[in-house]
Amino acid sequence: MNNYLPLSIISLGILAFATLMLVIAPGIEMARPEPPAGLQPYTVEEQRGRDAYVSMGCLYCHSQQPRAPEQAPDGERGWGRPSVSADYFYDSPHQLGTMRTGPDLLNVGARLPSESWHLTHLYQPRAIFEWSIMPAYPFLFEVKAEAEEGDVVVALPPEFAPAEGVVVASQEALDLTAYLLSLDRTYPAPQDGIRDDGYRPRGDAE
Amino acid sequence: MTADRRPEQDPRHPDEHFEPYELDASIPWPLLGISIALGVWGAATLFDTRRHEERAQVERVEDTQLATGQAVEPGHALFEASCATCHQPDGLGIRGAVPPLAGSPFVRNGPELVANIMLRGIDGPIRVNDSLYDGHMPSFASVFTDVEVAELASYVTSRWGESNRALEAAEVAELRGRVADLGSFRGGAGVAEDTGFALDEQPTFASGTSQPVSPEISALIFEGRGGQWSCASCHGDLGQGRENTPRLAGLPTDYIVKQLGDFAAGRRINESMAVVVAELSNEEKRALGVYYAGLRVPSNARPDLGGDLERGEQLAREGDWSLTVPSCFSCHGPSGFGVATEFPPLAAQHAPYTASQLAAWAGGQRTNSSLDLMEHISSALSAADRRAVADYLASLPPVPAGSGDMLAEQGEGQ
Repeated sequence: MNNYLPLSIISLGILAFATLMLVIAPGIEMARPEPPAGLQPYTVEEQRGRDAYVSMGCLYCHSQQPRAPEQAPDGERGWGRPSVSADYFYDSPHQLGTMRTGPDLLNVGARLPSESWHLTHLYQPRAIFEWSIMPAYPFLFEVKAEAEEGDVVVALPPEFAPAEGVVVASQEALDLTAYLLSLDRTYPAPQDGIRDDGYRPRGDAE
Repeated sequence: MTADRRPEQDPRHPDEHFEPYELDASIPWPLLGISIALGVWGAATLFDTRRHEERAQVERVEDTQLATGQAVEPGHALFEASCATCHQPDGLGIRGAVPPLAGSPFVRNGPELVANIMLRGIDGPIRVNDSLYDGHMPSFASVFTDVEVAELASYVTSRWGESNRALEAAEVAELRGRVADLGSFRGGAGVAEDTGFALDEQPTFASGTSQPVSPEISALIFEGRGGQWSCASCHGDLGQGRENTPRLAGLPTDYIVKQLGDFAAGRRINESMAVVVAELSNEEKRALGVYYAGLRVPSNARPDLGGDLERGEQLAREGDWSLTVPSCFSCHGPSGFGVATEFPPLAAQHAPYTASQLAAWAGGQRTNSSLDLMEHISSALSAADRRAVADYLASLPPVPAGSGDMLAEQGEGQ
């Protein structure tokens, strides 16, 4: 152990190689992507709705990351194509989530484009799905004797409607619905998008 | 100092501690030479036989085509794949359903008219010689490239018409630009009127959508009522659907009425639909069915499940008898345009919807067919097969077609 030069060169080389493979290469690969052509920034209303989505912890039951067909039948469920990193360009904080107690929501605006459906569902999920375990959000709504000018009335089956008056959506409920309807990443994925390729070998594109 | 414990070697015995060793000797050159020669010979043989195989394959294909009398013209393979399912390989059509190409006045007028019809489609009755046909020719504008349209039109007119003119792709491109927003021809009369060709006497077109929708039904479709959301809020203003919300435009009235009734009675399970149909009267169901059956909308479906389109095409056109699965088209009609009430159109339906319905038939969540056919077929298909066939069907042109600008107005250009 008296020849230090090769030892130092080799150890520095190993360090440089590790830095290249573990830091520089992933950095280049995951460089901030351009927003895809089909993706619009959130409007003020949608962004307010997004803040409500974050603050109410929707993330704890709903993911926003459809998987590749090799991993889960998300495409058949109508949850959309596997997402790519560019799909989250305007999302901060991202709401990827891991729990799927409820369905994935990244494309809910495409598969359920009905504002009134969402309002009914937020007011009382069991008005539609009697087996649903999603909490109801009645505090986002107001019961009024009569709808006023500009009020959005929630459509409800008779057994869930209040005995008197009508259920009217608050601004927060409308914002949240606007955000849900804006969740639509059905445009074609960018060619260079980094995506979850499942177990498919690289190069075996469709 | 340690004494060597090894006993003195007795010169009368062989050395028991001898370790064998090998002298340094190179591989003899004849051996090297032979291996290299063998290698070269093997590679040459491989190369040689591969060429032979290719030659043999080409010859075999040529032999088969000679034997079956098939032409090797451009357009032939495309015709077999996309046209022959309806117009039949011999171009004679299906009596009473699909008009013949052979002897047709439309084909006699040359490749330009044929290309025009392929790009626009025909919606409504036409007369070919002495027979009336009241069907729908789909628009293939979204399916074929200019080159393919040119090849097909030239092929059809040279085989069944009197023209030997080969249409150029550039002419098709120009034609495509001209007819892009015109929508389908309105029956044979529409073809004669729009193109100015002599086509004998053609029946007049009576639009299926000319029937006005009553204000009550219109309110139901676009605004909803009481505890019910509007139809259009999920299925789109044109009934075009999206993802796993199905396309309704062009489905038969009776099929829609039956499904609405099944949702109401719990024979078909879909919670959102159950809420919506709960308070529909039978008359309203029928009016909605009539409305959606009469809609003409171009396809906004895309094959986006990552399925294998070739496998999907095989399942749709030929089935897979190793799985005892008949072809889709054997019941749902050529090109999947639907047959009567029991076999709804499949072409241009959204892939996630088709795949999820197949999965529902297989899993027993959907059981509302009186024929019990789909249960077996769907369970015999693997998940990959279901994706493949759903993707293939989504790539087909819708029957009847619509005009190209309709979806653009909705902000959903293809």
